[in-house]
Amino acid sequence: MLAFAAQNWVCVIDTSIDSLVTVMSIAWLKFPDMGFLATFSLARPTALRSLRKTHHYERHNRMAKVIIENVYKIYTGDKGKLVTAVEDVNLTVESEEFMVFVGPSGCGKSTTLRMIAGLEEISKGSIYIDKRRVNDVPPKDRDIAMVFQNYALYPHMTVYQNMAFGLQLRNFPKAEIDARVRDAAAILGLTPEMLERKPKALSGGQRQRVAVGRAIVRKPKVFLFDEPLSNLDAKMRVQMRTEISKLHTRLNSTMIYVTHDQVEAMTMGDRICVMKDGRIQQVAEPLDIYNTPANLFVASFIGSPPMNLFEGTIENRTNHLVFVEKTKEGLTPLTVRVDERQESKLQSRIGKPVVFGIRPEDLEDKHLVADPNPAFIISAVAEVSEPMGSETHLYLTTGTHTFIARSHGQLRVEPSTRMELVANMKKAHFFDCVDKKDYVKEFGEINVEKWQTACGLIV
Amino acid sequence: MSHASTTSVGRKPSDTLSHIIIWAIFAIELLPFYMMLQMSVKTNTSFMTNPWLPAPPADWQWSNFSYGLGLIGPYIANTVFVATLGTAASLFLAICAAYFFARYRMPGSDILFAMFMFLMLMPGVANIVPLFTLLKSMNLLNTLWALIIVGIAGGQVFAIFVLKNFIEEIPKDLFEAAEIDGASHFQQMRNVVIPMSAPIIGTLAILMFLGKWNDFMLPLIVMRDKELFTLGVGLIYLNGEYVKQWGRIMAAFLIASMPLIIMFLFTMKLFVRGLSGGAVKG
Repeated sequence: MLAFAAQNWVCVIDTSIDSLVTVMSIAWLKFPDMGFLATFSLARPTALRSLRKTHHYERHNRMAKVIIENVYKIYTGDKGKLVTAVEDVNLTVESEEFMVFVGPSGCGKSTTLRMIAGLEEISKGSIYIDKRRVNDVPPKDRDIAMVFQNYALYPHMTVYQNMAFGLQLRNFPKAEIDARVRDAAAILGLTPEMLERKPKALSGGQRQRVAVGRAIVRKPKVFLFDEPLSNLDAKMRVQMRTEISKLHTRLNSTMIYVTHDQVEAMTMGDRICVMKDGRIQQVAEPLDIYNTPANLFVASFIGSPPMNLFEGTIENRTNHLVFVEKTKEGLTPLTVRVDERQESKLQSRIGKPVVFGIRPEDLEDKHLVADPNPAFIISAVAEVSEPMGSETHLYLTTGTHTFIARSHGQLRVEPSTRMELVANMKKAHFFDCVDKKDYVKEFGEINVEKWQTACGLIV
Repeated sequence: MSHASTTSVGRKPSDTLSHIIIWAIFAIELLPFYMMLQMSVKTNTSFMTNPWLPAPPADWQWSNFSYGLGLIGPYIANTVFVATLGTAASLFLAICAAYFFARYRMPGSDILFAMFMFLMLMPGVANIVPLFTLLKSMNLLNTLWALIIVGIAGGQVFAIFVLKNFIEEIPKDLFEAAEIDGASHFQQMRNVVIPMSAPIIGTLAILMFLGKWNDFMLPLIVMRDKELFTLGVGLIYLNGEYVKQWGRIMAAFLIASMPLIIMFLFTMKLFVRGLSGGAVKG
């Protein structure tokens, strides 16, 4: 009897689980906003399905402002620990602007982009595209297009079909689709013959063009690029970089571009948003970021080769403020006078630890400077010199800090020669040097980048 | 030098033994098929006088086949109906479920999936008695729908397991691109999942179809009317009900196995590709 009951159970469980799951998955897929299932799901609840009609796209307006307001992304990581990937991000991307999100990997830039796209749920805060709050709007109704890092082309479709897919799903008339695809192909330099090929028969650069083409044909309000060039070789990357810039000029659309490459950020962006640990560090025009970085992290992240940084203190010597390097015992510290215009802001930091930052191009070989002021001369030992043709990169050391100088001459320097360099102190930066004790990681290492974000610019 | 060129690499005396064993197994495997082939064109008399060797071509009884077809024609129709409908519905539901399990998580989805996997361990025969009771209370006994519905539910678990792993291998970006392009879940299944996992879906379809074509136990228990028999049961009853016309029965058997052989021959490549597809994905 018992055995029969047990078998009965097995059978009932078998059939019922099967049907339950099937019904649940179908129901959930069909109506993702259905009651409890939706609250559980990590996917986006569908709310508005009103924008299907073709005419909406016909008379659509490319001007669109993207507003990100107090946005958080919090997810449950290993062992149920909450991880904050994006923390209190506030940003307005103006209409027709080319905004670049840049930062090291894991800084939350892609997550932010994916939240704008609707591929990631927004934990807290709001995102507005063209004045409409889109938190609960599914990606397809946000009027955006996205270009992915690995192209994400459908491998079984031809280039033409790949580009036309989004329009077909939106029931565009065939003639319109054809016209748009061929227009986009012409803009991107894809030949009609290429349109008939499958993606695997294309080179990396061509594939990325197709991916961009797929975005263009939709004529979206906002273009989103998620590290689109990082799979390309160096030469192709430079070429595509200019092409995307040209495209922006031509289409006049709002574009948001994510990259970890600061060169791309500097060259392409109208404005750059530097991110680190889920927080915005600075938003400004490329040259502003370069010339006045908000903190030590931005200073060291933007620029190639990066800004030279020396820890030390400000001291008052014979009516002048002087930066004195913090050295290992027994070494003569690097000492350099502070530019007069910066002195007033540094008065309050006398005797306190600071970080002195100077860009490589602001250090020049003494012999190439006419009439140098001895107070601005620093001395260091050259370790390596790299002749680039137009300039020479010198890798030097003070004994405690290593740094790079970018001399404009074609120098020949033997290793281990002591050199004298003139620092252009007008362009020097000073940052607060926060106590590193608060930034110790698990194994006693210091989380340098996190520490850097805490060291704000003084001048 | 000549010695080296005449000896294959790795050939050892012990290989001869294993070759003999392999050939023996091969012969045992093929013997029934051979017997079926040669018997299908014999009359009972010629079979009695010469059971092992093929009859001379002049004596071949082609009429066995037309008679055999007449015997099992209705069974074939029933089986095709049950197997096709069952396979199609089962695959469709399996794709839906696998898509869901591969792409989304909800609380309890791990437990749900584990329960599914547990079902895979359950031998089908263990369910026969309760299944019968269940079908009886659903008034489905002696209907083809019983076979179809049980077939749909039964074949899914393995398919979901295989498909889920396969769909997880498809780059996530593709689904996201489709989503931004405006594809609904069903459109994503149609335009991304199905084309990209076509080999594995093909393989699963073949496996399911074979399973349903060969199904014996369930139709034996559920079916009573001869007109509703599927091949598995129908062929067995041929054996019992007629004066043993071996040639005709074998002709019927041969006809019944033909579709499978043809299907297998033509889809072998797909089949192998599908089975190894998950392992090395290019």
